Amino acid sequence: MDLDKIISLIRQGKHIHEETVYTLCLNAQELLINEANVSKVDTPVTICGDIHGQLHDLLTLFDKSGGVENSRYIFLGDFVDRGFYSLESFLLLLCYKLRYPDRISLIRGNHETRQITKVYGFYDEIMRKYGNSNVWRYCCEVFDYLSLGAVIDNKIFCVHGGLSPDINTIDEIRDIDRKQEVPHEGAMCDLLWSDPDEVMTWSLSPRGAGFLFGKNEVDNFLYKNDIELITRAHQLVMEGYKEMFDGGLVTVWSAPNYCYRCGNVAAVLRIEDDLSRNYTIFDAVQAQNGVGNAIIPTKKVQMDYFL
Amino acid sequence: MANNEENRDIRSRQGINTIIVNSARNMHMKTVNARIPQKSTPQPLSQQQNPQWNNFMVNRGTQNTSTIHQRFKSPLAPRTQSTRHVCNNPNNPPCAHCGTTIIPSPKAFMPLEDNPEIIINNWKISTKKKPILNSVELEDWENNKLKGLALPEMIFGNNAITIQNIEKDWTLQFNTLDALKMVKLEDSGIRVSYSNKWLDAKKNNATKNSNQKSDIDESSLKIVHNYDWTYTTEYKGTIKQNSKDSVEYNFQRDDEVQLPIDKLSRSDKILFFDDMILFEDELADNGISVLNCKIRVMDERLLLLSRFFLRVDDVLIRVIDTRIYVEFDENIIIREFKKYEDQYSSVLSRHRLSHSYDPKAALRDSNWVVANSPLVTRECEILKF
Repeated sequence: MDLDKIISLIRQGKHIHEETVYTLCLNAQELLINEANVSKVDTPVTICGDIHGQLHDLLTLFDKSGGVENSRYIFLGDFVDRGFYSLESFLLLLCYKLRYPDRISLIRGNHETRQITKVYGFYDEIMRKYGNSNVWRYCCEVFDYLSLGAVIDNKIFCVHGGLSPDINTIDEIRDIDRKQEVPHEGAMCDLLWSDPDEVMTWSLSPRGAGFLFGKNEVDNFLYKNDIELITRAHQLVMEGYKEMFDGGLVTVWSAPNYCYRCGNVAAVLRIEDDLSRNYTIFDAVQAQNGVGNAIIPTKKVQMDYFL
Repeated sequence: MANNEENRDIRSRQGINTIIVNSARNMHMKTVNARIPQKSTPQPLSQQQNPQWNNFMVNRGTQNTSTIHQRFKSPLAPRTQSTRHVCNNPNNPPCAHCGTTIIPSPKAFMPLEDNPEIIINNWKISTKKKPILNSVELEDWENNKLKGLALPEMIFGNNAITIQNIEKDWTLQFNTLDALKMVKLEDSGIRVSYSNKWLDAKKNNATKNSNQKSDIDESSLKIVHNYDWTYTTEYKGTIKQNSKDSVEYNFQRDDEVQLPIDKLSRSDKILFFDDMILFEDELADNGISVLNCKIRVMDERLLLLSRFFLRVDDVLIRVIDTRIYVEFDENIIIREFKKYEDQYSSVLSRHRLSHSYDPKAALRDSNWVVANSPLVTRECEILKF
């Protein structure tokens, strides 16, 4: 399999054959199965938040941050759904993982599940592009092998959602059997779903499921694990990133103009050898007005005789 | 960060950077150019394809309206082509009464104000569209304007549609802040589908590990911060009236009033159209809560639809529609409020009866949902100047 050729096809948004996707997914599983639940990563490294199928913005992300040929990356999950190029975005990351295994870490997000992708776009996209759901099933198999977190130089913890009351130390995450569909409860679920908030202790979300955690929980976790920062994604931030709790936690968001209409910018966070933080901000690829843009849905309002 | 500060320093010493001014100009030009109407103005489908159908519509209009809508005494004879609307919009190319539709661009860059508007008789209609709120604005809303509410994920807080009667200085506006002010700060009682399962698992876990590792106790499984996380709002718009006018104009409740569907079904040329989201939340991927506002202005009337659409997956479906109808010549304004609600499973089963391979796609389409859910409430009000 010629990875470089496939990468070039994906970057142009060209159709990838079902068999090619199958082989890619199989190879990716073999590679990922050997990775730990929490992978160890060295500095310098660039941390990236949600992508959500915005392939062209993902390409900008690589352009602006040096490219996988030259630097290391951690992706915090939510590669698919919402945007129109979930498959291409996910495959591009998989290809990079296969091509440069030690330069890119892929962490599972709450959208990397069968249930969520069925509702929020990825499944529909595959049906539209292939006429059957095979490719969706291959990808979902890979989702089950993605790791749950990463630790940079033993000082920075990376996860998609947040903390869990069942997890006190990072070592406890290593005990989870991760190769399964994300359950509706338990530590694995919390890591992918929970949110930081101004609360005094672990709190139930008013939706009736899911936890909110506050400064106390973050401070405890940092202290117990002797780390200085938690980086996570999962929540849209207009400015691309948001530090909370005296800099003990940061949310990184990497999908500019989310859903092609929010008008937000995106950010990636580069951690240098001395653990200093550098944010790179980037904007969305602009739709070309008037031409009926082929790659990004037109922003022009469609007139209709609604009643 | 240090880099940024340095840049700012240089900038403040040298005044505004020429490059910035130039790119602002470029962006402005692009925005304006993008709006120049295409040469072949697309005709409404019905007119293009079937002129007979068009005639039929007009005829039908003349016959039926006399019975149902006598109260408007609207002159139904086709208007001569003298234009009477004013497009007061510096950032848009002038329509020069050519009849081209003004479609406001969704976003203006830089500090340019982008408030497209149209004036017909005494009525001025304008819209405003901006990106989602930034953190400074969010903080202000969270700590002051909407204290107590955990805000939805996407707030288009600077979007608004305004309908103004210039003569009476009476305004009806749909804006995000007022819509969110009507979200209740109490427990809605609604829970996501797997809530019980989740809570039970946590409780078991807590008892099992009571003297070991788990941090949670009973209190962590109670909701501390109560607000309606579905963001249900029965917003009907905000009325503003200049206080110096002694007469107060209020809507009169009259549920007998109906919107003149026949007049609205005609393919009268749309002179001004806009469509915008005021706020949206994905309910942590448990469905969607979205408030959308759209408006179309024709030569003699306008219709605005503000739709709140809520879908909590496997739990319930709710749609709240507010329609504003204005008949310009008669100075009549009608406000219709409708609420639809049903259990998720019931709506879904209606779809299974009909057709299709992916029933959940239909549940993402608010139009289909409205057509297949029971009407719970309907209220109508009317105001005549």
